[in-house]
Amino acid sequence: MVGSLLWARGLKKQFSSGNEPVSVLQDLSLQLEPGQSLALTGRSGSGKSTLLNILCGLERPDAGSVGVLGETFDTRNPEALKKAEARWGNLRRQQIGVVFQEANLMPALSLLDNVRLRARLAGQDEQDCQDWLERLGIGELANRYPDQVSGGQRQRAALAMVFAMKPALILADEPTGSLDRQTAESVIEQLFELQARHGCGLILATHDPDLASRCNRHLDLGHLPVP
Amino acid sequence: MRRWFLLMLLALAGCSEPEQQAGFAGLAGVAENESGVPFLQPGPGDRLSFPEDFGPHPQHRIEWWYLTANLQTEGGEPLGLQWTQFRQAITPRPTNAEPPEANTWPLEAAWMAHAAVSFDSQHYFGERLARGDIGHAGASAEPLTVWLDDWRLEAASGNESWRLQVAADGWSYDLSLRVKGEPVAHGDNGFSAKSADGEGSMYFSLVDLQIDGTVTLGDQTLEVTGKGWFDREWSSQFLKAGQQGWDWFALHLDSGDKLMAFRLRESDGAFRAGTWIADNGKPVALGADQLRIAPLTEGDGYPRAWQLAVPDFGLNLEVAAPAGDYRNTGLFPYWESPVSVSGSHDGVGYMELTGYGE
Amino acid sequence: MTLLAALFSHYRRHPLQLLALAAMIVLATMLWTGVHHLTSQARASLEQSESAVAERQQVRRTDGKQVTVEDFVELRRGGLCVMPWLEVASPETGRVVGVDPLAAGCFGSTDQDDEPWRGELDGRPFVDISEAAELARGKTGELSLLVSDSDSAGVLPAGYRLAPFRVGPDTGELGDSFLLNLDALGVLVLLITALLVRSVYLLGLAQRRDSFALLHRFGVGPGRINRLLVAEILLLALVCIVPGIWFGRWLATGLGGGFGRALEGLFDQPLYAGQDGGWLVPLAIMLAVVLVACLADLLRPMARRLFGNGRRYGGFPVLVLVFGVALSIWAPGLAWLFVAVAIVFVAAGTLAPILISRLADGRARADSNPLARWRHRELSVLARRLALPLVALQFAMAMVLAVQALVTTFESTFDRWLGQRLEADFYIEIPETVDPGPALEWLSEQPELAASGMWHRVARGEATLVKTSGETGPAVDVFALGPVGPLVTGWQLFESTDEPWRALQQGKGMMVNEQLARRQDVTVGQTLTVTLGGEELNFPVLAIYPDYGRPAGEILLNVSVLPPEFVRGFQSLSVSPGDLSMEAVTHQLKALWQVEELTVRDNRAIEDLASAIFDQTFLLTRAMTALTLILAAVALLMMGWVFFSTRAWYFRLLMVWGLSRRQASAQLIRLAVSLSSIIALLALPLGVWLTWVLVHRINPLAFGWSLPMAVYPGFWLELGVLSLLIGLSIALLMSRQLKSPKSAPVNANAPAGGER
Repeated sequence: MVGSLLWARGLKKQFSSGNEPVSVLQDLSLQLEPGQSLALTGRSGSGKSTLLNILCGLERPDAGSVGVLGETFDTRNPEALKKAEARWGNLRRQQIGVVFQEANLMPALSLLDNVRLRARLAGQDEQDCQDWLERLGIGELANRYPDQVSGGQRQRAALAMVFAMKPALILADEPTGSLDRQTAESVIEQLFELQARHGCGLILATHDPDLASRCNRHLDLGHLPVP
Repeated sequence: MRRWFLLMLLALAGCSEPEQQAGFAGLAGVAENESGVPFLQPGPGDRLSFPEDFGPHPQHRIEWWYLTANLQTEGGEPLGLQWTQFRQAITPRPTNAEPPEANTWPLEAAWMAHAAVSFDSQHYFGERLARGDIGHAGASAEPLTVWLDDWRLEAASGNESWRLQVAADGWSYDLSLRVKGEPVAHGDNGFSAKSADGEGSMYFSLVDLQIDGTVTLGDQTLEVTGKGWFDREWSSQFLKAGQQGWDWFALHLDSGDKLMAFRLRESDGAFRAGTWIADNGKPVALGADQLRIAPLTEGDGYPRAWQLAVPDFGLNLEVAAPAGDYRNTGLFPYWESPVSVSGSHDGVGYMELTGYGE
Repeated sequence: MTLLAALFSHYRRHPLQLLALAAMIVLATMLWTGVHHLTSQARASLEQSESAVAERQQVRRTDGKQVTVEDFVELRRGGLCVMPWLEVASPETGRVVGVDPLAAGCFGSTDQDDEPWRGELDGRPFVDISEAAELARGKTGELSLLVSDSDSAGVLPAGYRLAPFRVGPDTGELGDSFLLNLDALGVLVLLITALLVRSVYLLGLAQRRDSFALLHRFGVGPGRINRLLVAEILLLALVCIVPGIWFGRWLATGLGGGFGRALEGLFDQPLYAGQDGGWLVPLAIMLAVVLVACLADLLRPMARRLFGNGRRYGGFPVLVLVFGVALSIWAPGLAWLFVAVAIVFVAAGTLAPILISRLADGRARADSNPLARWRHRELSVLARRLALPLVALQFAMAMVLAVQALVTTFESTFDRWLGQRLEADFYIEIPETVDPGPALEWLSEQPELAASGMWHRVARGEATLVKTSGETGPAVDVFALGPVGPLVTGWQLFESTDEPWRALQQGKGMMVNEQLARRQDVTVGQTLTVTLGGEELNFPVLAIYPDYGRPAGEILLNVSVLPPEFVRGFQSLSVSPGDLSMEAVTHQLKALWQVEELTVRDNRAIEDLASAIFDQTFLLTRAMTALTLILAAVALLMMGWVFFSTRAWYFRLLMVWGLSRRQASAQLIRLAVSLSSIIALLALPLGVWLTWVLVHRINPLAFGWSLPMAVYPGFWLELGVLSLLIGLSIALLMSRQLKSPKSAPVNANAPAGGER
C-alpha cells in the first residue's frame, strides 16, 4: 500500500432519497499504482461520480480512509480532517487532473487561456500550453472560445488542460459521454496515449465496456456485494 | 349664508337647545353668561327713560329700531317703506360696562339691518349683517344714531328731525323725518306683556312722523311724502314655548287716531294686546278681551286680509295688503306690507306677520 | 390543460419568479401611485386655495401701514364691500384664517363656489375672526381686507389703494418647484421599476424558451404564443396593479398628514385631505409601463428596422447621449427638457453595460495573469447578463444622488434664507405708539453690546419706483436698516459694488432684492429713483441680494436716509445681546418705552422649529428614493442569484482545480464588488447631471429663478460604501451556492450559463 499512487479502504457513502437512506458505496476498497489505469463501471446511480469526487476530495465519505500521493485522509481522525481541505486543494491544484463529461472550460476564456489558467494554478510553465493544444490537434483553435468549437474539440482542450498541469493522477468522469463514437474514439486514444507516455494513474468512470476493457483493471460498482 | 350664520351664532353663543333656534327675534331662554352677568328680562313695573332708551340695551338679548312708512309719490301712488335694525346679543353686558376692544373682533352681539320698499305691487328688500362693538354697526341715544355699513338713521337737528339713508342693491332711499308728539309707551308704562304668564318686552313708539324724501328704484327716482311709525322694543325673551308667531298691526286712521295691535299665536288660541292712541288723547292699553284680531282669508300662508275690532272705541276694521308678495326673504323670512284700512274707519298702516311656516 | 395554463405552468415551477414579478409590479405601482397621489393632491390644494381668492383684490393703505379694524369700519361705513381676512400662523395649529361671516354678506353672490370661505381651508373650516384674533395674541397675525368684485373696480376713499390678494404669498413658487421636482422623480421611479420588471420577466422568458420551442413543434404558431404572452402579462399586471394602487393610496394617506403639515409649514401650501384622485390614470399608466417593459421585444423588430441593429455598438448610444445632453443645455421649454432627460437616461442606460463590458474586456486583454483575465472576462459577462438590474441600480443611485443634492440645496438655501432673517438671537417688535429713539440711544451706549453683541433696527414701509420715463413704477417694500452691522454684512450677495455695506452704512445707496432686479432689469451701479414719504430720492444700487423666491420687490436702505414724512409701517429691533442679558435689554426697553408688555421672539427656537418642519417635508422624498434604491439592490441581488445559479458550476470548477472555497469566494467578492462599484461610479456623472438639470434647468424654465447648485462628495462616499455593501451581499449570497456540489450544465447555451 505504501508507495501506491492511490488507495482507499472501507469507503462508505449514503444519500437520503426522500426519507429512505440509499447506500451508494458500501465498504469499498481499491488501490492504484503509478502508470496504471482503472475503469469504474456500473449503472447510473451506482456511485461512480461519488467515488471519483471522494478520491479527489470534492466529497467526504461517511467512513473509510483514502491515501493519495502520500497524503492520508481518514474519517477516524477528525483532527487531520480539519486541514484536509487545504491538503486536497493542493493535490487537485498540482497533482490530480479531473475531466468531466462536459463544461470543463471557462466559457469566457479562450481555449488557450483556459489551458494557461490551469497550468498556472498547477505551478507549471505557461509556455507549453500552446504545445499541448497542438499535440491534441487543436492548436489552430487556441484563440477560439469554448462555444465556438465542437464538443470533441472542447474535450480535447480539457485534456490539454489536464496534461498541461503535469498530473500524477487523472480522474475522468465519462469524458466522452456526450461525443459521437468516432470523436470519442480519437479523444480516448489521445487520453490513453498521453497517460501512458507520462506514466500517470488514470481512473476512468464509463458506461462503455469496450472503453473499460482498455484499462489495466476494472471495478464494477454495480456488481459489488451488498451486505 | 343663512344656515351657516345661524349655526355660527348658536355655536358662538353656546346655545344648543333646539327651541332656542327660533330665530332672531324669537324665543330664547334667559341665561347667564360665563362671567355671571345675566340677561335682563323686562317685567311689570319697569319704566322707560329718555333719551337713554333710544340707545342700545346690551344686557338684553334682542332689540330693534323699527320704522314703517306709508308714503305717496308725487303722482299720488302709495309707497310702503320699512327700515329696521336689529341687535341680537350673544353675550350680555351691563349698560355701563366698557365694550371689548375693537381689534379683538369681538362677537358679543350681531346686528342685522332690513330695508324694504313696496311700490306698484313690487317689493324690494335688502339685508345687512355686522358684528357689534367694532364700529361696523351700532346705535347711540344722544344724538340718535343707528347705523350698519352706510345705512344710517341719525338725528339731523336736535332730536326733532332725523335723516335716514339706505343704499341697497339697485335701489336706495334718503328721507327726512320730522318727529311729532311724545313717545307712546305701550302696555304698562312701556312694559308690553307678550303672554299671559308675564313674559314681555319694553316697547314704545313714535307714531306721528312726517316724512319726505326720495326713493330711487333702479333709474327711477321718486319724490315721496307721507307718515311714519317708529318702534323701539327690547327684551330677552319674546315668545314663550308654544307660541308660533305674531301678527302685528300699526294703523294710521284718517280720523287722526292710531291703533297698534298684535296677537301671539299659541297652540290653543292667542295672546292679544294693543294700544289705542286717540288724536290728541292719552294712549289706552288694550287688553285681550278688548281686542278682536282674526284673519279673513283661509288656508296656508300669510293671511292677506284681517278683521280688527275694538268695540270699546267703535272700531271694526278690515285691513288688507295690496296685491303682491311682501315677504322679506332674508335670514328669517316674514311678511311686512303696507295695508289699507276700511270698515268703520279708513286709513293706512303696516302689517307684520311671522311664523307662517317658512 | 389549456395552452395558457401550459404557458403559465412555468411559474408553478418557479413560484419565486412569479412572486418577484408580482412584487415588482405591486411595489412599482405603490411607489408611483403614492407619489402621484401626493403631488396631485398638493397641487389641487394649491389651486383650490388660490382659487378661493382667485382674482381677488384687497385694499391696502397708501401710507404703507398695516390695515386695522378701524380701516375696515371706515371702508364699510363708506359703503365699500370689504371683508376682513385675518391669517394667523402658529406651529401648534398651523395656518388659521379668520373671517367675518357677517361682513361677507355683501359679497352677495348666489353661486356658492364664489364664496370660498364657506368651505374649508387646510381641511378645517374657516373660523370666526374673533377666534383668529384670540389665536393671534402674541403671534404674527396679518389682517387683509378683501374687496368684493363689484367694488374692486370702483373708487376707493383717499388713503387706500387696491392690491392683488393671494393666499400663499411668498413661497408658493418654491412649493411648486418642489412638487415639480417630486413629479420628475416619480417618473424616474417609474423608469427604474420598469427596468426591474423587465429584467425579471426576461429571465422567465429565457427559461421558457425551450417550452416555446416545444409548443412550436406541436404546431402552435409564434403569433399565437405571442398573443398568449400578452394575455398572460395583461392578466398579471391587472392582478398586481390594483392592489398596488390601493397600497399607494394607503401610503399617501399615511404620509399625507405629515407631508401636508410640512408642505404647509414650509411653503404655506395646505394639503386638503380626502381628495379622491382617480384610479384610472395610475391604472392606465402602470399598465402601459408593464406592457412596454415586458413586451418591448415584440416591438423590437420594428425599432430595428428604424434604427438598425446597434445593440452591440456603442457609437449610436454615444451620439444619442451627446444629443440628449446638448438638448438639456439648450432646451427651450420644460417639455423638451423632460425629453432630454429621457434621452440621456435611455442612452446612459444602454451605454453603461456596454461600457463596463468593454472596459473589462480591455483589462482582460492587458492582463497576463490568466486568473485575473478570467475575472475580467467574467465581469464582462456579468455586466451584460445583469444589464437591466444594473442599469436600474445606476438610475436609482443617480436619483438618490440628485435628490440628496437637491434636498441639501433646498435645505441650505432655506437655512440661509432663515439665517438672513433670523440672524440675531432675538427679535423685538417696537410698539407702534412709542418713540424708539431713547431705546436706540441706550442700545448704542451699552459697552457689552458693542463688544460682544449685535443689534439693528428695521423700519418697514412702502415706496414707489419711478421709471426712467418719469412714469410711476411698481410699489416696492422698503426695509430701512440701522446701524448696518455684522447682522447683515454676512449676507450672500449676487452682485455688488466694492464695500457695499460701508456705502449703505454711509447712506450712499441702496440694495435691491433679486426679484426686483430681475423684473425691472436693475443692475448694480445703476441709479434708481423712488418716491418715498412724498419725496423723490435717487440712489445708486449697491448690491443685489437673494430673496429665495419672494416675489415682492424690496429695497434696503439705511434708516438715516428716510425723509421725515416716510410712514414707518412696522418697526422692529434685532438683538444678539452677547454678554448683556436679554432680560436686562427687555427690562430697559420696557422702562424707556413705558410699556408693560413687549413682543420678543426667540429666533433660535423659530429656526429649530423651521428646520424640523423642513426635515419632515423631505422625509417623503428621502423615503421614496431610499425605497427605490433598496428595490433596485434587491432586484440586482435576485437577478444575480438566478444568474449565478447558472454560473455556479464554473466557480466550482475553480475549486476542482484546487482553489479552496474561501479563495473561490474571494474571486466572487472581487467580481461583485467591482461590478457594484463601477455602476456607482457610472451613476455619479448621471446623478450630477440630473442635479444640474433639476436645479439649473427645470427651475428657471418653470419659475424663472434658480437655486445655487452644489455637489456633496461626502455623500458620494456614502453611496460608494453602499455600493460596496451591495456588492458584498451579492457575493456572500452567491458563495452559499458554492457549498453544495453542482452537476455540470447539460449544454453550454447562454441561459444555462455558458455565455462568454
